[in-house]
Amino acid sequence: MQLWHSVLQLSLLASAAIPTAAAAAWGFTDATVSVSTKGAGVGSGLKESIPDNKALSAPVAFGPADTLKVSLTAQEGRSGKRAHQVFLLLQDPETGLDISYPFNVKDNGKSRLDLTQKDLPIRFLSVSEPLDARLLIGSFGDSVAYDGAAFQLAVTHNPDEPVPTAEASSRYGKLPEIHHIFKADAQSPPVVISLVFVALVLAALPVLGGLWLFLGANVNHLPAALKSAPVPHAVFLGSLLSIEGIFFLYYTSWNLFQILPAVAVASTVAFISGSRALGEVQGRRLAGLR
Amino acid sequence: MRWCLSVFLFCLAVVNALSSSGNRLLVVLEDGSEKDLYSTFWSDLEARGYDLIFESPKSDKLSLFDLGEKAYDHLLILPPRSKGFGPALSPKNIVDFINQDGNVLLALSGKSTTPSAISSLLLELDLHLSTDRSSVVLDHFNYDTLSASEKHDVLLLQRPGQLRPDTKDFFGGEGVLALPRTAPHTLGDTALLAPILRAPVTAYSYNPKEDLSAGEEVSATGSQLALVSAMQSRSSSRFTLLGSAESFQDKWFSATVKAPGSGKETGTANQEFAKQLTAWTFKETGVLKVGKIEHHLAQDDLSLEDLNPTIYRIKNETVFSIEISEYSDDKYVPFEVPANDALQLEFSMLSPFQRLQLQPSARTENSTIYSTQFTVPDQHGIFSFRVNYKRPFLTNIEEKHEVTVRHFAHDEYPRSWKISGGWVWIAGLWSVIGGFLAFVFVWLYSEPASGKTKKTQ
Repeated sequence: MQLWHSVLQLSLLASAAIPTAAAAAWGFTDATVSVSTKGAGVGSGLKESIPDNKALSAPVAFGPADTLKVSLTAQEGRSGKRAHQVFLLLQDPETGLDISYPFNVKDNGKSRLDLTQKDLPIRFLSVSEPLDARLLIGSFGDSVAYDGAAFQLAVTHNPDEPVPTAEASSRYGKLPEIHHIFKADAQSPPVVISLVFVALVLAALPVLGGLWLFLGANVNHLPAALKSAPVPHAVFLGSLLSIEGIFFLYYTSWNLFQILPAVAVASTVAFISGSRALGEVQGRRLAGLR
Repeated sequence: MRWCLSVFLFCLAVVNALSSSGNRLLVVLEDGSEKDLYSTFWSDLEARGYDLIFESPKSDKLSLFDLGEKAYDHLLILPPRSKGFGPALSPKNIVDFINQDGNVLLALSGKSTTPSAISSLLLELDLHLSTDRSSVVLDHFNYDTLSASEKHDVLLLQRPGQLRPDTKDFFGGEGVLALPRTAPHTLGDTALLAPILRAPVTAYSYNPKEDLSAGEEVSATGSQLALVSAMQSRSSSRFTLLGSAESFQDKWFSATVKAPGSGKETGTANQEFAKQLTAWTFKETGVLKVGKIEHHLAQDDLSLEDLNPTIYRIKNETVFSIEISEYSDDKYVPFEVPANDALQLEFSMLSPFQRLQLQPSARTENSTIYSTQFTVPDQHGIFSFRVNYKRPFLTNIEEKHEVTVRHFAHDEYPRSWKISGGWVWIAGLWSVIGGFLAFVFVWLYSEPASGKTKKTQ
């Protein structure tokens, strides 16, 4: 729609530039634009005259304490006349946002407009590109209305003050995507380090065995023990092994209700056979062998 | 027999009603003689299956409600001649009608002052008329030179395009619209409102009863003036404000117009625009319907029990799908998300943890299935799958399906031997066990090493 409008405006401009014989065209003369800063002396500031029905080439700087004054004489054909619409149209070239300010028009076509930054919408204060200022002059009847660029308005700011920005209004639309950031998985140290420490831990067993042998550990009583009480010794050691085996199964696959009866059986066996086996050991001690 | 009859009647009703929400249309028209001015418009509506009921606002039996239920599905209000509408059309009644899912097309005219009751109704919807309520839009650049060469109050506008790059275009097309004597309005800052047709930048509003005194404060100019606007409530009932009732008259359906500058005389596209506008307002277009909603774990063989479980575990791969159809003119068709827009799924507990785009995955005869696959966040709690699709000109979709997200169960963690860092501790445990067994063996069968020395002592 914006595009169509601008195309239309261009075509209107083109048509306005070539006044037809049938209808007079609106235009302006004696147009000046001036910017005066509050507190600065008379004669300071910028004052430029806009050539008739044409535009200024350099942008007009417009600060926060400045007053922009535009004055012109509206003309129908060659004679000054009061037009119904004498507007200064400000448009943001980026967003296409527009606002018009009506001139104070006298009967002879003399029109003037005073503007400060307070009169601008907040969105115009934070634009980066200069605003396009156009003059719209038109009225009832057959005369062709005038719509032409007048100057560019560069809105400047006091660098010490923050630029007022408009709050973004809420509109229904798609929202930014959100991807959940997962907590990092637990990390293990390098396998090599783990294996070194596993080797260290497992090396404790041979060290222990070696120490025992150095201190004189032996199994010299095994034949005697097996001879005097073979069944209790075999069953006792077997039941100890099976208790550890049951714990291994619990670690790998069994659950508590599977191991409890098994451990109960194995430990009963260990208790009974253990008391016999330890009786045999006591016998050896009483015999002075230990 | 009665069963057959009711089925037959139902089918008949379905065939007749083009709108997705009923076909009883109340037209509020004060002056019976004005009815003939709009005859093409009425016959267009009747051809599309509407039951037109004409009532004068002065009529005693006029009521929007019958036993507390709305008596009509749609309401079309033409500008009144007199100061206002009667008590049956008070702002409160019309707002109640909208709240009961009634759709309203309100036409204004710049010819007469808009009643203050209408103005206060519009204020409720955050639509603002000028304070004098009798302004007309003028544009010295886009007017019809044939009918308004002096007054410039017949606007010639191109058909509106897309509102935003991500919306559906329900009102576009070729041709020029002629809007005679349009009452402009401005829109408040709310997401429920959407302009359908804006004034050109060179337009301004003007009260013909008083001369525009020079330098007067102008509240809105240019494209801030809306000529046709739409409001869609949260319950998806629709309200359209048309600035120029005259544009729907027979005269302007068939008028020939000519813009200044361009030498060509063209016909207007008003009839087509009137059809688009009433079709949208009375819910023939832009109506979305949600069909099946499914979510399940991402796995190949799915049984019926696996669909829509009430509980998920953290880090589950999950698939969510939603079936959406769009009502278009007289049937449901597969809904296509407009370009640049996205249908989004939120997986949220208080605030969304995942907000993902749903992609079309399958299409049936009259619906599209949108789906996405994602990993459940590593946070347990009560989550919900939410699809909150609210867009200008489309009815709202707001779906919320709650599920529980639980932790890993104790037997779902990896076993300790799979963790290489745990090997040291496992080796330590088993070496203690081995050492214990060896110690028992040695203790049972070892002969004292110092036995001989003891004896000698």
